Amino acid sequence: MTEALARVPFWWLAIPVFWGSVALFALEVVRHLRVMGAVRPAAPFRDVPRRLGAVLRYAILQTRLFRDTRAGLMHYAIFAAFVLLSTGVASAGTGGLVEAIVAWPFGGAIWAFLLLARNVAAIAALAGLVYAMARRLVTRPARLTLSRSVVAILFLIGAIVAAELGALTFEAALYGPLPGAVITNAAGSLLVRSDRGLLLLLFGVTWWVHIACVCTFLIWLPLTKHFHVASSFFNVYLRKLEPRGALPAMDLEAEDATFGLKTLADLSWKDVLDGLSCTECGLCQDACPAYATGKPLNPKALIVGIRELTTEAELGLHLVPGPSIGHARVAEDDSPRPVVSGLPLVDHAISFDAVWDCVTCGACVEACPLLIEHVDKIVGIRRNLVLEESRFPAEITTAFRAMENQQNPWGQPASARLDWTRGLPFEVPVVRDLAKAGRLDEIEVLYWVGCAAAFDERNKRVARAFATCLHVAGVKFAVLGEEEACTGDPARRMGNEYVFQMLATRNIETFEKYGPPPIVTACPHCFNTLANEYPQFGGRYDVRHHTSYLASLLASGRLATRDPNAAEAGQAEARRVTLHDSCYLTRYNEIVDAPRDVLRSVGSIELAEMSAHGKQTHCCGAGGGRMWMEETRGTRINAARTHQVLATGAPTLATSCPFCMTMLRDGLADAGAGDKVSTLDVAEILAPVAISGRTAGSKSGELPVTRAER
Amino acid sequence: MRIVVLAKPVPDAGQERLRNDFRMDREATTEVINGNDEYALEAALKLVEASPDGGEVVLLAMAPDHAQETLRKGLALGAASAVLVTDPALEGSCALTTAHVLAAALRELSFDLVIAGVDTSDGGGGVVAAGVAALLGLPYLSYAARIEPSDGRVRVRRITPNGYEVLEAPMPALISATQALGAPRYPTLKGIMGARRKEIVIRTLADLDLAGARARGVEVGGAAATARVTGSRPRAPRGTPKVVQGSPAEAAQEVVTFLAERRLI
Ligand code: SF4
Ligand code: SF4
Repeated sequence: MTEALARVPFWWLAIPVFWGSVALFALEVVRHLRVMGAVRPAAPFRDVPRRLGAVLRYAILQTRLFRDTRAGLMHYAIFAAFVLLSTGVASAGTGGLVEAIVAWPFGGAIWAFLLLARNVAAIAALAGLVYAMARRLVTRPARLTLSRSVVAILFLIGAIVAAELGALTFEAALYGPLPGAVITNAAGSLLVRSDRGLLLLLFGVTWWVHIACVCTFLIWLPLTKHFHVASSFFNVYLRKLEPRGALPAMDLEAEDATFGLKTLADLSWKDVLDGLSCTECGLCQDACPAYATGKPLNPKALIVGIRELTTEAELGLHLVPGPSIGHARVAEDDSPRPVVSGLPLVDHAISFDAVWDCVTCGACVEACPLLIEHVDKIVGIRRNLVLEESRFPAEITTAFRAMENQQNPWGQPASARLDWTRGLPFEVPVVRDLAKAGRLDEIEVLYWVGCAAAFDERNKRVARAFATCLHVAGVKFAVLGEEEACTGDPARRMGNEYVFQMLATRNIETFEKYGPPPIVTACPHCFNTLANEYPQFGGRYDVRHHTSYLASLLASGRLATRDPNAAEAGQAEARRVTLHDSCYLTRYNEIVDAPRDVLRSVGSIELAEMSAHGKQTHCCGAGGGRMWMEETRGTRINAARTHQVLATGAPTLATSCPFCMTMLRDGLADAGAGDKVSTLDVAEILAPVAISGRTAGSKSGELPVTRAER
Repeated sequence: MRIVVLAKPVPDAGQERLRNDFRMDREATTEVINGNDEYALEAALKLVEASPDGGEVVLLAMAPDHAQETLRKGLALGAASAVLVTDPALEGSCALTTAHVLAAALRELSFDLVIAGVDTSDGGGGVVAAGVAALLGLPYLSYAARIEPSDGRVRVRRITPNGYEVLEAPMPALISATQALGAPRYPTLKGIMGARRKEIVIRTLADLDLAGARARGVEVGGAAATARVTGSRPRAPRGTPKVVQGSPAEAAQEVVTFLAERRLI
C-alpha cells in the first residue's frame, strides 16, 4: 500500500473488485476460446518477425486508421488514454504495488511522467469521445452503427476518463499537488479553499466511480465490439501472410469433410476471432463497390454476423467450464449450442444474393484496420454452395461447363486460340513446335495469352499490341496455343474448386513438360493465379505481368520509344491519360508503378489520376466471376467507375486487364461517352511508338492492328 | 419408379471434327452426354425424387468403351447405375441398328418409363427413341414439356407448333424429352466422387439377344449400315455482324428499322 492509496476510503475493497472483474473477463475469454477450439483448426504462426512488424504497424501505430486523419487522431487519443489509465487501475487493484515499483527508480520520475501522460491523454480522449459521439449523432456516416450499446459504451469510457480527472483533481485539492499531474493539480489548486468534507466525499466518489466503471467495462468488453481492445493485437499478429490473392488451399479428396464453409463449425478459429474482433467501424462497408451500388452485400454485416452466431452458440457454454456449475439460462451439457453452430452461414450471417454480389475486389480487406479477410470467407461460402449444394445463379452454369469441357469460360474451341495472331507481320512461335525442333531453350519468355485475349475480339488487339512490343524489343517469346487452358481463376472465385483444380493440374502438367522459362501475361487474373495459387499445387514459376515486363524492357534499354514530337508535329501536345488500376494487379499484387512507368515512357503523356487509384482503386465490376453474371441488383459497378473516369476529363483511359477493358468500355458506351474516351491497354499505348532500344531511332513498331481503337 | 434414360455420349457441340470418312473424330473432342439427354436425365431424377416410393434412374448407352468416363458425368448427377453396350463390331452402326441394340438391352431391364432426348447433337436423326418404342411395343409420347405419372399411367404435355397436346398412356412407356422440361442440374462434388464408385454394366453383342433383329435381316456395324454420310460441308460463314451503338432508345430504333427493312417485323 502506498501513501496515496491510503487516502482512498475502502481502498482495500478495490483489490477483490478488480481481480473479480479480471476473473470474469478471463472466463468470458475462455468461453470465446472454447468456441474457437470447437471449429476448424488453422495455423497462422510462422514468420514471427513479419507478424510483429504487422502488430507495430497496424495495431500500435494504427496506420490504417490514419487514412482519415481526424478519425485516426480520435481513436489514438482514446487508445492512449486506455493504455495509460490502466496503469492507475492496475495500481489500485494491486494495493499500490504497480505504483511502488514504477515510482521506485529515479526518485519517482517515471511515475510522475505517467501521471502527466495520463492527464494529457485523458483530456485528449474526452475530446475524442465528444467527436466520436458527435459523428454518430450529427454527421452520421453510414458506415457506423448507432446502437444502444455503442452509446452506452462511449458514455462508460467518458465516465472512466472524467472520473479519473475528477479523482486526481480532488486529491490534489485535498493533499497538495501530485508530481507530474499538472493539469489536475492546476484544477485542484482552484478548489483548495472548498469545504474539506465535501472534497473528501467527491474524491471518494470519483475514485470509486472510476474503478467501478473500469471493472464494468472489463466485464462487458468481451461481449461487444470493444473486445477489439484486447483482441486486435492477436488478430493482427495472426493475420494471413500468404499472398492476399491466394485463396485457401482445399483438399477435394477429403470425402467426409464439409467442402467450403457451411456453418459456424466450418470456419477456422481465426475466422471466429475475426468476428469477435471486428470493431464495426464500417470501413469495409464504405470501401465495398457492391454495397455502394445498392446491392445486398455488406462485408461488415458478414463479419458481425459471424460474431453474432458465435455469441449465440456460446449461450450453451457455462461461464465456468464444467458440467455442473453455471447459471440457469444455459444448456445442460456445456457445449456450444449445436442448433446455432449448425445454422448455415447463408441466411444467418449473409444472404444468398449477397454471397454472389461480391466481385472479390479486396477493397474491404485493404480497408479493415484489423486485417480481417472477408474475401476468403465469401469464397468459402461459395465453395460450399457450389460443391455441396449446387446452388448458384443459374447463369454461371454455362461458364462452369465451358471451363470444364472447353477449358475456357467462353466455350470456344482450343483450335481458335491462335486466331489473334492472324494478320501479324511476324510469326508467333508455338512452344510445342519449338520443342519438336529442339529449340526450347531459345525461348526467353513464355507469353501466357489467357482466354480473354484469345477469344474476345477487343482483347485480341491487346494481344497483338503486346506481341508487337515483344517483337520490336527482339524478345524471343513463344505461346502455348492449343495447349493453353484457362488458369481457373473464374472457377475458383465462383467457388468451383473442382473445375479450378482440374484446370490448374492440367496447366501445371503442360508447364512441367517444357520446364517453362519466365511466364508473362497481360491478364492480372491469370497473373495472380499463376503466381500465387499454382504453388499450392507445386507449380512454382517466375510470373510477370506485362506492364512490369514492358517497364523492365524499357528500363533495361531493350525497348525505347520514338519521340512523338520529332515524328509527328501534330502530336506535340501532351495527351491526358487516366489509368484504371486493376484490383488483382494493384491491390492484390501491389503493382502500382509499372503501368505508370510504361505510360511515362511515352513522352507526350500527362497522367490524370482518379481519386481512387493505386491500392485504393475501384473495381470495374468483373472480378470474382461477376464477368459471367448479369448485374441485376442495385446500379452497375462499372457505371460508378465510369463516372470517376469521366470526372478526370481525360480523353484516353488506360487499362491493364482484359476484364477492366471490357467493363469500362461498356460503361463508357452506356454513359454515351464511347466516342469521347478511348479505352486502351497500356501495351496498346506503347506499341505505336515502341522502337527497338538497340537500334533506337530506326523503324517503329507501329502496325495497323495496334492503332488506337475506341 | 424406375426410369431408364437413353444417354448418348457425343462430342461437345462446337468442337466436332470430321474424319476423312465423314465420321466423327472422337479423339479430338471432349465428350459429354448429349444435351437433350441431359434434360431427359434431369426430368427422370426429378420424377424419382418426387415419387413416394422412391426408385432409381439407370443410364443406357451404346458407345465405344471409353464412353464410360462420359457416363460417369451422368452418374455424378444422380443416376444410380449405367449400362453400356459396347462392341467393336458396332462401330459405324446406323440408327436402325442402334434402335435394335438399345431395345435388346432394354428387354433385360425393368422400368416404368424410358426417357430419351428428342434428338442428339451429333447424328441429329431423332428416330432412335421412336424406333425403340416401336420395337418394344411401348407407347411413345414425344416432345414432352411436362411428365406427370400417376397410378400406373403417365400423362405428357406434348409441344406442337401451335401449342400443346396432353397425351396419356399406361406405363411402361417411352417419352422423348424437350428442353421445356427444365435445365439439368450441376453436379455436386459428392456426386462426382460418388460416381467413381457407381456400377457401369458392360454388355457386348454376345450378351444381347438380337435374334429378333436378325430375323428381320438387320445386321450391325458400319458395313451393314442402312444409311451413311457421303458428303459434308461446313456452313458458309455468316455475313459481318452489324453493331448497334448509341443510347438504348436510339439503338432500339435502329434495330427496329433494320428488321423492318428486311420485312422481318
Ligand atoms: S471483395 Fe469487394 S465486393 Fe467483395 S465484399 Fe469486399 S469490397 Fe465488397
Ligand atoms: S470487418 Fe474490419 S473494416 Fe469491417 S467493420 Fe469490422 S473492423 Fe471495420
